[in-house]
Amino acid sequence: MSHNPPKIFLKFFRWFCHPRLKKPIEGDLMELYEERVKIDGKRKADLGFIKDVLLLFRPSIIKPADGTYRINNYGMLKNYFKVGIRNTLKYKMFSFINVFGLAVAMSVCMLIILMLADQQSSDQFHEKRDRIYRVLGKPFKGSVPYATTAYPTTNELKKEYPLFDQVVSLRFGVGGEVTFNQKNAEVRGFFTDNSFFDVFSFSLVEGNKTTALSKARTIVLTKEKAYQLFNTENPIGKHVQFTNKGLSILNPDSETDPVDWGLYTVVGVIDNENLKSHLTFDVLVSSSSLATLHEANLIDDLTQNWDMTTDSYGYVVLKEGISQRKLDHSLVDFAERKYADNEDLPEYTYFSQSITRITPGIVVSNEIKFRLPERAYWVLSFMAVIIMIMACVNYVNLSVARSLSRTREIGVRKVNGATRKNLVYQFLTESVITVMFSLFMAVFILSIIKEGFMNLWVIEHLDFNLNLSGPLYLLFFFFALVVGVLAGIYPALIISRREPVSALKSDASISSGKFGLQKVLNVSQFVVSLLFIVTSIVIYKQFKHYTAFEYGFDAKNVVNIPLQNNDYELLAHEFNTVGGVMKVSACEYVPATGTESSVDFVHPKTEEEHKELLFLSCNEQFLPNLELKMVAGKGLPAKGSGELDRYVVINEAATVKLGFANPQESIGEFFLDKSRKNMVEIIGVVENFRASLLIGGDEIRPLVLQNREESFKYLNVKISDVNPMETISNLEEKWETIGSGRTFEYDFYEDQLATTHKAVFDVASVIGYISFLAILISCLGLLGMAIYNTERRTKEIGIRKVLGAAEIKIVLGLSRGFLKLLIISIVIAAPLSYLFNTLWLNNFPNRVDFGIGSIILGSAVLLTLGLITIGSQTIRASRKNPVESLKYE
Amino acid sequence: MKKFQLGEFEEVVMLTVGILYENAYGVSIKKEIETRLDRKVSVGALQSALRRLEDKEYLRSHDSDATPERAGRPKRFYKITALGKEAMEHSKETRNALWDSIPEVALDVKFAKA
Repeated sequence: MSHNPPKIFLKFFRWFCHPRLKKPIEGDLMELYEERVKIDGKRKADLGFIKDVLLLFRPSIIKPADGTYRINNYGMLKNYFKVGIRNTLKYKMFSFINVFGLAVAMSVCMLIILMLADQQSSDQFHEKRDRIYRVLGKPFKGSVPYATTAYPTTNELKKEYPLFDQVVSLRFGVGGEVTFNQKNAEVRGFFTDNSFFDVFSFSLVEGNKTTALSKARTIVLTKEKAYQLFNTENPIGKHVQFTNKGLSILNPDSETDPVDWGLYTVVGVIDNENLKSHLTFDVLVSSSSLATLHEANLIDDLTQNWDMTTDSYGYVVLKEGISQRKLDHSLVDFAERKYADNEDLPEYTYFSQSITRITPGIVVSNEIKFRLPERAYWVLSFMAVIIMIMACVNYVNLSVARSLSRTREIGVRKVNGATRKNLVYQFLTESVITVMFSLFMAVFILSIIKEGFMNLWVIEHLDFNLNLSGPLYLLFFFFALVVGVLAGIYPALIISRREPVSALKSDASISSGKFGLQKVLNVSQFVVSLLFIVTSIVIYKQFKHYTAFEYGFDAKNVVNIPLQNNDYELLAHEFNTVGGVMKVSACEYVPATGTESSVDFVHPKTEEEHKELLFLSCNEQFLPNLELKMVAGKGLPAKGSGELDRYVVINEAATVKLGFANPQESIGEFFLDKSRKNMVEIIGVVENFRASLLIGGDEIRPLVLQNREESFKYLNVKISDVNPMETISNLEEKWETIGSGRTFEYDFYEDQLATTHKAVFDVASVIGYISFLAILISCLGLLGMAIYNTERRTKEIGIRKVLGAAEIKIVLGLSRGFLKLLIISIVIAAPLSYLFNTLWLNNFPNRVDFGIGSIILGSAVLLTLGLITIGSQTIRASRKNPVESLKYE
Repeated sequence: MKKFQLGEFEEVVMLTVGILYENAYGVSIKKEIETRLDRKVSVGALQSALRRLEDKEYLRSHDSDATPERAGRPKRFYKITALGKEAMEHSKETRNALWDSIPEVALDVKFAKA
């Protein structure tokens, strides 16, 4: 045997050949090779061998792609699966605890995933989304960035830098009523030009994209508004009347007197109903229309104005291949050249924000659409992850504990040749099976909590679309897989480490003292739970505190009715005739619900200036209507008693602020109203009451009241206790008779005050829900451990009973360990929750006292639930007939 | 539905296995075909045909003990099964039947050439 065929080809053959055929065929090859060597010599024989091997490389000879190795593995997997399912079904209680705990946690995570997915889908429909950036402005170092910039910004940028394909600016100022054939539609929108359609991918269902908005006095409507005005008629080319009312996209309450802006030609209809975007608008008006409006002095000319940085949005499309860094660099350079000499804004600078990073994104002022800041998602995700970790910890705890009773199985598997890897796979299979069960349950739970979540006040304003779709299900599946592996990996590694000999020996040697890690995990679970509980109690108390807050005035049975440009005197007169109405007053805004205005006073002699005094315009009935008492002087003058704007009433806080020793002293004093440039006389001082938001600050701010009828926007109608709803429907009837064409709106003042703190309540309910889940999961974990422990000690309990131990002693003995865990958790969590809650409370205006009560209440809840959990098992175990427990094997 | 499926090369292999009777293994089958039919047979083609025939259960095989001239590898011997015999007969009969149905004139070379 001196001749050998080329080794590499022999190896190749051995590699690809089906193992069942390898030996005989190799034999044939060798025989032929030997023969050829004898006849043709080694070289030819080698070539012949190579040819044979290569020709053997065909499907019927090659081993199956998955290999024989896989076949065996598949068998093992089947076995793992079967054993996993059997184990799940055999220990129903444990499986339930695991599945349920994981499902609850997963549902919360899935909800967050849904929210994030929804947010991510915003502005994805723009074809150039990778190149569209919004230019943000920053007035000074450390200030919140503004979404708005000076109107000429983008056009100037395009002129000076060769970076841009297109630029567009959207200018505020379109807000009013569009009229066609006596049909009205209230609209808000922007001035912009044709490049709007080059930058964004809003498509026109009617009209021509290439020419729309390029001419003056043209307008594009959304499908919804077009339908309101024209129904099914084609609106293109129609002339609509635009009446400006100063409606703003940012502030829903702003409204000025209507001004006729003339006729506009409809050149397009946008269908944006199904497009998720941070841009919301009802109309777009061509910016070339601005020129005539400037001439008529109907709107400020901002084309060269770099000081007004809050009236326009700027968007740019970068040329292909230009990076955001380059853009930012140019923007800084641009800002330096434009603003370095600006007296008011010397530090003004620009930066950019990719359109896909707007929702969710950083917090910016003047954002078009209300949305949660990125940070809120971080907080929510963080809480969801904590809950998920807690559920995984349960799984780890229970699996490791339970593995003690499965040591024999592990031993037998190892003796039969299972490697550690095999066992790890086995236990991972089991955890994945558990998680898949949880996934089903989680989808079910998700559908329930989704409803509740969507009903939260804050969420209702975010118009989320949390519908499940195919890709999301796939995402959930992968999420579940990851959770399964994460939860299973630690137990799998621990369990598979066991030596077969010790595993096969009786497990009697394993004492209960080996649960060190589990104890730590259990304690940390309860610490987190208690922290959540205490926090939610505190936030809820804060909410209660706000709703029951003494504002200083009586809002009971007061109904606030927006005037909607109706004459207040006429309406007040009419309303006074309605039965059940006790008093009617008028005011500029509803105090303590978020809106406020201010005034600056200057002392005429000392020229001392008092800035930012709260200002409220109301008629003479307002203070008595809210049962506010005068401390000194008299109330506001009624109409017809001379010049109304010469007199003001101030509150007690204002007397202090303006430097008077007591209220009486201030009567008859004069001040200069800085913005209106007239002298006002203080004729009365009213007791302190809250006119600004509770969350805005601790102190009652100085307030100035004046009877200025032109600014009235609301009527305050005090009605009697009897049949309030009937009175309101009577009011509505009266409203109809006035015939303004607007719908009657009303709100109970008390409800309005409560809704201002809805957000606090929502936070409390979200954290409350999370803490409920946290404690649920912790108790499930405790339950699992209690079941396991009592089961393991069945015999011991039996012997104790036979020897005469009392039931209560046994219960105590069994519970002691767990009680200790609970106590340790409370000892750790109590100071932590105190620290954490005082930390945020201290920065909270009008806060409640933290009070040790919250901690005690939280601890009591935790202890009670913990004790019920443990007790349910220990009492049952101690009641068991010793005859039975001694037979237990 | 075809009852038996036997390709041309497969039929040759079957017949050769029959001829070699007790001594039908890879190399001997290859050589027999090469000498009798004067055509080159690669190990790959032969082995894959043998695989197919075994899968169809026309052939069965057993391994001999290892022999020294084959570097300690066993020989795999093939035998025709009852099913294999039926398949061969079926093939032969259908051929014969086809032969018989050809009109004599069709095989008259004079006509064929014209």
